[in-house]
Amino acid sequence: MAGIWVFAESREHTRELLGAGRELADRMGTTLGVFAQGASASKEYIACGADEVFVLPVLGEDEPLEACVPVLADAVSAGDPDVIFIGATARGKTIAARLASRLKTGLCSCCSGFVYDEGDKLLRMERMVYGGAGIQTVVCETRPQMATIAPRTFAPAPEQEGRSGKVSELPVVPESGVKVLDRLPRQRGAVDVTRAKAIVCVGRGVEKAEDITLARDLADVLGAEVACSRPIAEELQWLPEDVYLGISGKRVKPELYVGVGVSGQIQHVTGIRDSRVIFAINRDENAPIFEAADFGIVGDLYQVVPKLIDEFKAALKA
Amino acid sequence: MLKTIACFKWVIDDADIRIDAGTRKLVLDRAGYKISAYDRNAIEEAVLLQEKHGGTVCAVTVAPSSAKACLKDALSRGPDNACYINDPSFADLAPAQTVSILAAGIKAGIEFDLIICGEGSGDLYTQQVGPALAETLGIPCITYVNKLTYSESDRRITAERKLEDGIEVVSAALPALVTILPDINTPRIPTLKQVLGAAKKPALNVTLDSLGPAGDPCLKTVGIQAAVMDRKKIRFAADAEGIRAAVGALLKEVAIA
Ligand SMILES: Cc1cc2nc3c(=O)[nH]c(=O)nc-3n(C[C@H](O)[C@H](O)[C@H](O)COP(=O)(O)OP(=O)(O)OC[C@H]3O[C@@H](n4cnc5c(N)ncnc54)[C@H](O)[C@@H]3O)c2cc1C
Repeated sequence: MAGIWVFAESREHTRELLGAGRELADRMGTTLGVFAQGASASKEYIACGADEVFVLPVLGEDEPLEACVPVLADAVSAGDPDVIFIGATARGKTIAARLASRLKTGLCSCCSGFVYDEGDKLLRMERMVYGGAGIQTVVCETRPQMATIAPRTFAPAPEQEGRSGKVSELPVVPESGVKVLDRLPRQRGAVDVTRAKAIVCVGRGVEKAEDITLARDLADVLGAEVACSRPIAEELQWLPEDVYLGISGKRVKPELYVGVGVSGQIQHVTGIRDSRVIFAINRDENAPIFEAADFGIVGDLYQVVPKLIDEFKAALKA
Repeated sequence: MLKTIACFKWVIDDADIRIDAGTRKLVLDRAGYKISAYDRNAIEEAVLLQEKHGGTVCAVTVAPSSAKACLKDALSRGPDNACYINDPSFADLAPAQTVSILAAGIKAGIEFDLIICGEGSGDLYTQQVGPALAETLGIPCITYVNKLTYSESDRRITAERKLEDGIEVVSAALPALVTILPDINTPRIPTLKQVLGAAKKPALNVTLDSLGPAGDPCLKTVGIQAAVMDRKKIRFAADAEGIRAAVGALLKEVAIA
């Protein structure tokens, strides 16, 4: 057997992988398979390009999603797909790494794009290394070729009428050694920084949580959203995690990014690379952010930002 | 007695990476090395558990033979001993190889109840080695942990995993492996005494001859290209005039709502 198989936690993410997988399956002249959590998504996935749906059994309340690794591995061994794409969420990345290890095959983590080589029938897969300073191209020389793919890397597959596909059920998942005791859903912030036209981003140059109001005031004048660096969200927890930017956070492409006390380490810059204009305020003239910025002011943010707000107000009123 | 292994990787200091824009190559030859950022959290977490529950901490690395300096650095952070699995060929290993070497080294002679790895390494950041190592050793695996507790009475760990949709609180019996997030702790900065003391701590030297071949890389790197970005890099002074000029320049470039 052969085929491209995909698996992701959410429907939206699954549809993105189906989009990427359908195109590749057509080029390779093969079929597209998808793992579904529960049978209810089967019809949608078939309409979105799947030729075959493998329905995972419903897991026990106390079983983590990763418990399905042995069942996935058995299905892959039986079906022998050429390629497996797995959604690069925390659970997906864990499942993929364990699956690749079981199958003794290679895995391209957080693949950002690929080209298919007709000659050797292998994917040239790209991913970021060194915090985004480099783009590594890898090929997986063992079967199946595996990659994890982050949300929003590919456009979701549209539903088409009149498609048909096969649906099969996978066997019961064996009990895993890890038990779920509790699940605490995350309160989603109202802000989606990935859609913001302008962003004011605070870094550790801000001394206390209250001082973020300074950035907020600037953001208000600019019609911007407030975002931050990873330590502001994770270590200090001054802002929610869905607004931190970088290789492990959100990747944004606003018209304007303003960094306020952000040093500009490569892992952060990777997330803001596609901004149209980058403006930085930092008191250290050697801060790497200035190498990544169009405009910069070397100075103390506590002095510069209030003056900036006034200047913007004056200029915008005029 | 809790026997913990903290895995760490000796990586290029990314702050030292230079980019040659002409050739789009990364210039790595003058870069220094350090313990990968999140592996410092892994070592710290192992030491914190030891302070609370007793037992031992062993810091384990798979590294090229040129990385010996990593031992003193790791040991100054608190572990009792280290295990240096090295070979000159261990410079650019694929994740699958690191895992098989690490698993062979651990099976060959390090007793453990708990293995702690960082979420991902600062260089390749594949985030594979922890979960793949657990799979290879056939032990439970808990990833992306930002809170970890150990219960002596039933020899289980409880962990909070930080996932996209919220926190998942899980528990597993030992032996087990966890990968941790950087917000789990703040790694201590070694004192001079700890740095000096590190040299006296035992470090086991394990070489390839005692482990057998490194195994199939599975993944082959075809090339690495520098990511380049064209920016204007114009600076303005922090005085009133400079700020006014900056605002003027910005407003010319972007339409502000
Ligand atoms: C594997 C890995 C993944 C990572 N992923 C991410 C990621 O996705 N996103 C991310 O952001 N980081 C990430 N990081 C962390 C990253 O390397 C940096 O540590 C982080 O971005 C630094 O945040 P910062 O700029 O806020 O803080 P710092 O580096 O501490 O910088 C603070 C800056 O503020 C300036 N400053 C201080 N006071 C003032 C003042 N009064 N006025 C003006 N300027 C001032 C300082 O000069 C300094 O440059 C990752 C790291 C690793 C190892």
